Parts: sequence; structure tokens; C-alpha cells
Amino acid sequence: MDEHTDWNWELFDEIVEDVEENKNIIQCIACGKCVGDCPAAKVSNFNSRKIIKKVLRGDKSVLKDSDIWHCYLCERCKRVCPKENINIPLLIINLRNESFKRGFGPRYNDLRKYVEMSERFLTQGIILEEPLGEDLPQERIDELDTICDFARIKYVFKASNEKQKAKRKRN
Amino acid sequence: MNFNTLALDLQAIEEEFPESPLDYFKEKKLCLFRACLEKYFPGVRWGFQDLLEELQLEVTTCKNQSCCSGTFFQRNLITRAQFSAINERNLSEMNQQADIAFFSCNGCYNSLLRGRDFLKTPEVRIKTQEILNTIHKKVGVERYPGIYKILENPKIKLVHDLDFLYLIRNDVLNTLKFDLRDLKVAVHYGCHYLNLSRDKKTIESYLGSKTKLEELIELFGGIPVDYQERESCCGWGASQLLINPREALKITYTKLKSAENVGADFILMPCPTCLYTLSKPEYRDNIKNWFGEKLEIPTIHLNELIAILRGCEEERCISLTRKTPRLGEIFDIITQQ
Repeated sequence: MDEHTDWNWELFDEIVEDVEENKNIIQCIACGKCVGDCPAAKVSNFNSRKIIKKVLRGDKSVLKDSDIWHCYLCERCKRVCPKENINIPLLIINLRNESFKRGFGPRYNDLRKYVEMSERFLTQGIILEEPLGEDLPQERIDELDTICDFARIKYVFKASNEKQKAKRKRN
Repeated sequence: MNFNTLALDLQAIEEEFPESPLDYFKEKKLCLFRACLEKYFPGVRWGFQDLLEELQLEVTTCKNQSCCSGTFFQRNLITRAQFSAINERNLSEMNQQADIAFFSCNGCYNSLLRGRDFLKTPEVRIKTQEILNTIHKKVGVERYPGIYKILENPKIKLVHDLDFLYLIRNDVLNTLKFDLRDLKVAVHYGCHYLNLSRDKKTIESYLGSKTKLEELIELFGGIPVDYQERESCCGWGASQLLINPREALKITYTKLKSAENVGADFILMPCPTCLYTLSKPEYRDNIKNWFGEKLEIPTIHLNELIAILRGCEEERCISLTRKTPRLGEIFDIITQQ
């Protein structure tokens, strides 16, 4: 066994501490139904059974794998799972958070598709150019901005502004 | 605090109003949740709104409602508490003006129920309330009592448009001017409708097969056709289509191809996000470039279809900018009766 596959509960404990519901993954019987019905597994290396196995073994390489970023969050796995209360989509979101925290998450370039959406959400409260109907009043937009304080959405927005400033400076 | 689901109890309404479930909604204040994707498909909003007005129901939209923020939560750009705070803010605003909120989008419906679900966890609940307190401090005034508090037993109930339309299907049928003239229709429910447990009271209703769209098609004079990819994802996959377009469009391609193979005249769905993915011309072009096949099967949202069948003006049903020759054909077959 290499250093990543030593059996320990450290990673499991961490994600359960963050989201208690994750403790249910211990019931996984590795039947593979989640993989068989998974849209992401059909087009990428995403394999929820392997991901659960890694977490239960304490294999932290799962946080570096790009695989966790390929989940479609369609919740199909939750529906076909023969065990009750295993919430794989929530586990994936949690693992992505851990991955972000340790600096393995997507870089700015991977998130550039979110720049415009983030900007519109923070400045207009919506994610498309203009809503059908009335605009959200400015006071309500300010409320959303406050809710999102210190969130990654703000860093994506800020990174895009800084990139644009640098581009303007170069030109 | 009561964190039971806010989903409208359809079974109870059916039991209480077996002859006409529509009666339950009369005298109630109704609010349409504004889904961002309705911008591209205004018929999704108008088709539904016009129907409710014809049925003499009081319907509004909520001007203080924001995007549900599901997109950002699913890509880890906001936390669970921030997501819940955004949704709690929206719920408070709607709770102030309505008894029932309608959702034309699977994603928004799922988000509002999920945000509420997260509040069952004490840590998330505490953080969410702290965030709402911060807004309160900044705003300085209270616009109405309870706006910046997690709602305890809110009166507002949430319902997906498809569930509502199915519930009052006989009243809908009475408003229709045209029928589907035996057109063959493939259905796409969308993952966040098919796989959603948050609004279900029993395990049977969660795991059982969903057939409301097929039943509506038959009622409206069409022929529902089964196909292999009926339950598969549209390809959007919580923005996977933006991040890994080639992988995601393979799913879209397989779905569209499967429906074409069984001779479906169009695909019917209850979600504008799925509609966007399955119909966007740029995606259809990419499918042709990457997988070598030009697929032209039209796609229609249930609310748009009802508007067409009710004989609404064309722009009120389907935006002219997205009208393809095949979609035009369907429109003509239905309306030139």
C-alpha cells in the first residue's frame, strides 16, 4: 500500500464533522448501481463507488482527482441506491469543498464560464442578461451581496475584474 | 421549528376536492417564481400565467425575488448557509404576498426545497440566521416583521407547474381549442423532477415511475412514445455543459437521437433548463460537428404546449427567435385544425 491507501478514518471523520449526513456512506455495499445509472460515468472517469471506497479508506488523493468535478449532481444515484439515506451528490459537493480548501479545486480559468453569471448575480440578482419583467430593486441586490460576503463567488468576480484591469493596462 | 417539506400536499387536495381540485386554488393568492431561463422562453411564463388568468385565479410575480442560486451552490461558489439564506430571503418575500408559489423550472423548485432542507442541520441553521442578521444590521430597518428571520411554519407552499397542471387536468382540457392530432410525443422529465425526494411523502411516490406527462399527452390527443433514454439527463448536469462541453453534449446527443429513432415528432419537458440544453442551436451545431449528425427533433416546454393548444398568439407561446422549421411544422399541424 502506498501512503494514500493506508486505512484510516481521518478523511471520513472530517467530512462527517462538516456534514453529518455523510456518515451514511459507511452503509455502502459497493453494489455499483449508482455507477451503472450515472450519466457522468458514461462519458468520463467519474465513479461514485470508487470515490466512496477512497473516502472510507482515508485515501486523500480523492481530493486531488479531477473526477469529483465531473459529477452531474442529477441525484439519480440517490434514487437507485438500495441503502437508505446515502446522499452521494451531497458527499461530492462536500469533497469539492475540501478540495477547494486544500488548493486543489478548479483554477480561475476553469471557472471563467461562471464569471458573467457571478457578476450578474451580484449586480442584478439574476444570472441572465435581463429578467422577464421588473428588475430587482437595488436594496435587494445589496442584500444578496451581503449574503455572499467571503464566498468564492466574490473571488471569481474579483478575479475577473483584476484580469480585465491588467488587460486594459497592457493595451 | 417545523422544517417539514414546503411542497404542496397534492394528495390532500385530491381527497378534499375530488370533483374539482381547482376549487382549492380559488381565493388563494398565487405567485409565479421567476426562473432565469424563462428569459429565453417567455412562453413558459406567459403560457402558464394566461391559463391561470383564464381559470379566474389571482396570480402575481414577486418583484423582490432573486435567482435561486442553485448554479452557484452546485459549483461550490457559495456555502450551504449562504444558499439557504438566499432561499430563505426569497421564501420570506413570497410568503409576504402569496399562499402558493409555482415553479416552471426543476432546478428552482429543487433549490427552494433543498435550501429549506439544509436548515434541519443545527450548524447550518445558526449560520444562516447569522447571515440574515448581518443583512438586518446593514439595512437598519425592518421592511415587514420577520423578513430577516428563518421562517417558522410559513404559510407559503411550493408546487411544480407539472404537478399542478396534472392535478387540474380536466379544467385545463376545457380551455383547449386544439388537440395534439395523434402527434407522437417523447417525454423528458429532467433529473431534478424524476429523482427528487424532497417533495415526496412516501417512498413509493419517490421510487415509482413518473407518468404525468404521458397521461397529459394522451388527454390532449397525442401519442406518448417510449424511448431508451427517457430517464437520462439532458446534458446540462449542473453546468457540466459549460465546463466539459464535449462530454455533456454526448449525453444530449444520445438523448435526442434515441427520441428521433422511435419516430417522435417532438420532445416535451417541464423545465426551461432542460429545454435550453436540448434546443440551443449552438449545441445542435456542436453535436453535428463532434458526433457527425444533425438532429432536428423539436423540443417544447409543457407550458408552451398548453399555450399552443389554447390557441394563444404565436409569440405568446414560442419566441419567434427560436422557431425552427420543424417546430413551425408542429405549430401549424396543431393550429390549422
